[in-house]
Amino acid sequence: MTQSASSRPMMPWLLIMPSFALALFIISYPFFNIVFQSVHDVSRFGMIRDFNGLTNFLKVMADPVFMDVLRRTLIWTVSVVGGTVLVSVPVALILHQDFYGRGIARTVVMLPWSVSLTMTAIVWRWAFNDEYGMVNVTLQKLGIISGPIHWLATAEWAFPVEIMVGILVSVPFTVTIFLGGLSSVPGDIYEAARIDGATPWQMFRKLTLPLLRPFINMAIVLNVIYVFNSFPIIWVMTQGGPSNSTHILVTYLYELGFRLGRPGEAAAISLVMLSMLMIFTGLYIRMQPKESGEA
Amino acid sequence: MVLDKTKLRRSLICWVALSPLLLVIIFPFAVMFFTAVKPPEEVFTYPARWWPSHFRWANFADMWQAAKFGVALKNSLIVSLSSTLLAIAVSIPAAYALARFPFRGKGFYRQFLLVTQMLSPILLVLGLFRLASMIPYGDGNLVDSHIGVIVAYAAFNIAFAVWMMSSYFATIPRDLEESAWLEGCGKIRAVFKVFLPLAVPAMVVTAIFTFINAWNEFAVVYTLIRSEENKTLTVQITDLVAGRYTVEWHLVMAATLAATLPVSILFAWLQRFLVKGLALGAVK
Repeated sequence: MTQSASSRPMMPWLLIMPSFALALFIISYPFFNIVFQSVHDVSRFGMIRDFNGLTNFLKVMADPVFMDVLRRTLIWTVSVVGGTVLVSVPVALILHQDFYGRGIARTVVMLPWSVSLTMTAIVWRWAFNDEYGMVNVTLQKLGIISGPIHWLATAEWAFPVEIMVGILVSVPFTVTIFLGGLSSVPGDIYEAARIDGATPWQMFRKLTLPLLRPFINMAIVLNVIYVFNSFPIIWVMTQGGPSNSTHILVTYLYELGFRLGRPGEAAAISLVMLSMLMIFTGLYIRMQPKESGEA
Repeated sequence: MVLDKTKLRRSLICWVALSPLLLVIIFPFAVMFFTAVKPPEEVFTYPARWWPSHFRWANFADMWQAAKFGVALKNSLIVSLSSTLLAIAVSIPAAYALARFPFRGKGFYRQFLLVTQMLSPILLVLGLFRLASMIPYGDGNLVDSHIGVIVAYAAFNIAFAVWMMSSYFATIPRDLEESAWLEGCGKIRAVFKVFLPLAVPAMVVTAIFTFINAWNEFAVVYTLIRSEENKTLTVQITDLVAGRYTVEWHLVMAATLAATLPVSILFAWLQRFLVKGLALGAVK
């Protein structure tokens, strides 16, 4: 095969070109356009007026809502990704066992993945309805709460509820990655460990976790990207309300750009988000070569 | 089948341990279903109950009218099918190259795919809107046209499609192609005669998942599509909820159920292919 690659060195590039060109086209123009908008004064109808340097960025930094939103975005990303990994590791370990009905259990755990985030958010919004929602009805029937809780209308509740939904929809993808990782672990090392008298906890700490590490890392990176950019859950459930208490950067950016008529600032936020992701992924790629050597 | 006692015990433990998660997963499906079949007057009675007094299947017919479900369904099908075809068509050669050739720039291409995942549609949405409004089409531009949405979806699904397919392609033994060369078959012909037929299952599975991704997407259509007759299901159904003072939840739940169930069944049937494809494709 190396021979065919060297005899036709252009071949792989020809094969890659269509996908590369298409993706580059869709990404590059919007990207440059956002850079352009971010350093110009843009009217609420999208008219580009004068170059204004870093004014949009400075406006964003001086906006007290933005700082709040930035802090909340970090909480959102860390809680959803952290919660997802904490739930997914044990779930994947269980689903990797040989037990009756495993196929059904796997299918059910994967189900939230098949539902559009938008639909999920609509259903949960209804389920968390103050008076008629099934969450309050069920919790009251079970005697866990005495009166209805105003979940989505209360700042202290709305955001944790959304984090819960965020975790729920991220679990299937993460479990899938971990199951792939677990299936590549050779079974005989456990046999050997058992003969040496290792306890299940020791086997988990010393064997499973290290072997799973590259997969956990990858799940964290991809989930950070997806969760950081996750728009529909918050947009559909609370639109950032009540009184801006659930906005994260993406929803705030959308509101600034398409509702409040401040596209220049929205573009600036896009770039701030992008650089945050770049720094994060850059750190990950720097870590990567060591990992792939092991895997 | 002989029931194995230790396995039976293990099964019990596993199911008990999974049950809290399974309940939370089933919960929204139950909410969807039971609200969708409730007579309207029972949706807003206090205290609310799970079980309807009778199952009112006519909700689905009402919803079809109220949500203009047929039009949105057609739009979802057009957008999802076309973007899937485009994404798969450009991803097959790329996945083949990644699976078969060592070449300079392979690492760069892989990192590029990761970057396309970072530059999600929502981050670029302001620029995408500008791009669509710049390209002339018909009497106007690509805003409010399916073409813009289709091309954008295809582009954003390339990374997933290439990851999935290259990991499957790598499992197809090269010997088969090489022995075809020995028998005097040209290299390109060998690809079409030997490799592609074996790769069809992987392509079909990837295509179905790409289709589901497109079917479920929200932000791009929400931004680029303006008129009701061009909206897809996700946006159309969101419009029934967002910014309305009274929401007819029984109709909304009937609509979400009708939009979700076919895809969920398809997904449930195919999910086992994801485990192998995604994990191996993205790590290696």
